[in-house]
Amino acid sequence: MSENVMTLQVITPAGVVYDHHANYITARTTNGEIGILPNMISTIAGLEIDELKVRRPDDETHVDYIAVNGGIIEIKDSLVTIVADSAERNRDIDVSRAERAKIRAEKALEVAKAEKKSDEIKRVEVALHRALNRLNVSSHN
Amino acid sequence: MGASLNEIKTKIASTKKTSQITGAMQMVSAAKLQKAESHAKAFQTYAEKVRKITTDLVSSDNEPAKNPMMIKREVKKTGYLVITSDRGLVGGYNSNILKSVISNIRKRHTNESEYTILALGGTGADFFKARNVKVSYVLRGLSDQPTFEEVRAIVTEAVEEYQAEEFDELYVCYNHHVNSLVSEARMEKMLPISFDEKGDEKASLVTFELEPDRETILNQLLPQYAESMIYGSIVDAKTAEHAAGMTAMRTATDNAHSVINDLTIQYNRARQASITQEITEIVAGASAL
Repeated sequence: MSENVMTLQVITPAGVVYDHHANYITARTTNGEIGILPNMISTIAGLEIDELKVRRPDDETHVDYIAVNGGIIEIKDSLVTIVADSAERNRDIDVSRAERAKIRAEKALEVAKAEKKSDEIKRVEVALHRALNRLNVSSHN
Repeated sequence: MGASLNEIKTKIASTKKTSQITGAMQMVSAAKLQKAESHAKAFQTYAEKVRKITTDLVSSDNEPAKNPMMIKREVKKTGYLVITSDRGLVGGYNSNILKSVISNIRKRHTNESEYTILALGGTGADFFKARNVKVSYVLRGLSDQPTFEEVRAIVTEAVEEYQAEEFDELYVCYNHHVNSLVSEARMEKMLPISFDEKGDEKASLVTFELEPDRETILNQLLPQYAESMIYGSIVDAKTAEHAAGMTAMRTATDNAHSVINDLTIQYNRARQASITQEITEIVAGASAL
């Protein structure tokens, strides 16, 4: 293994979603976007619902996108671990399902706003955010 | 000889049908067990990682914990999350866990106000209701391969009740799946979260850069940790349930077969007896002439 490579593992309750080498990763933490390079200082941070961009070492143009629903990122000894409730690679995303989830969330948001339930609004907004994120990531195909 | 030929015949036919059904149910449970086992395995990796990150984070400095989920409060009330099945036909699965919960509760508490039950699965909920034990939360109709989303409702409920100081510690009671023949009733303390038991693991010497800060990450990570622990026990319990169902149905099928054997012998004897009787009657009739 060359020195300038790190391993990225994305793990969800349904199993390991992604386990590959990478030489550059961008992720959005609660504090903002970070770029991760091999041999970086050990870090733990919370993630936003957003996309993860992974540059693979085999080819300059080889980039993977992963939709991550929150979770935690841990960087330690060039091993990047992400544990999240759910995560999907762009090629695994079911676009029509994500589309339906988006429409459902939009409708639920209208209802919740009409009824002025602030908890419900927050919850639905997160669901909508997730659906939009999945759609956004799947568009990289 | 009691029963007539016809009666025995119907009995044999009906037992055969029952054995077919139990045989089919055994196969269904076996298939579900296999699925549940692979699911539990996939989840194991997740649980390990969450645990590792939490340990890394907590052991990276020695300040006393400030997070409400880690602070030990004086125990005034204990919550028990009891995982049972919704359906019957799983052998001793339910009675096993309920018996151990009841005996534990009797040992620990003298007063009813000292504990509360959260029931997952209909059998447990009905059991405690019939005994006038207060059940503060019931979740029924969990699917055979519960997803994380499905279980989140009860986990969130448990964590919220804990944070609202409805109870001061939470135990999860479930059947741990050992193998397809053996499961054992377990009672595990989930809240407050403690890392005392991992004394043999060496604390990592790596210091971590924390973004944004320790408390914020803990606030996000600890609920996830608790969720994963509780979800893990639910997955484990479901696996044990399928195993118990499989074993129970196999025993039922075996029993049905032995009943059919006995009945067939009885039937043949009765048939033989009636033939003998007929011959005797004919012979007696002939000699009377």
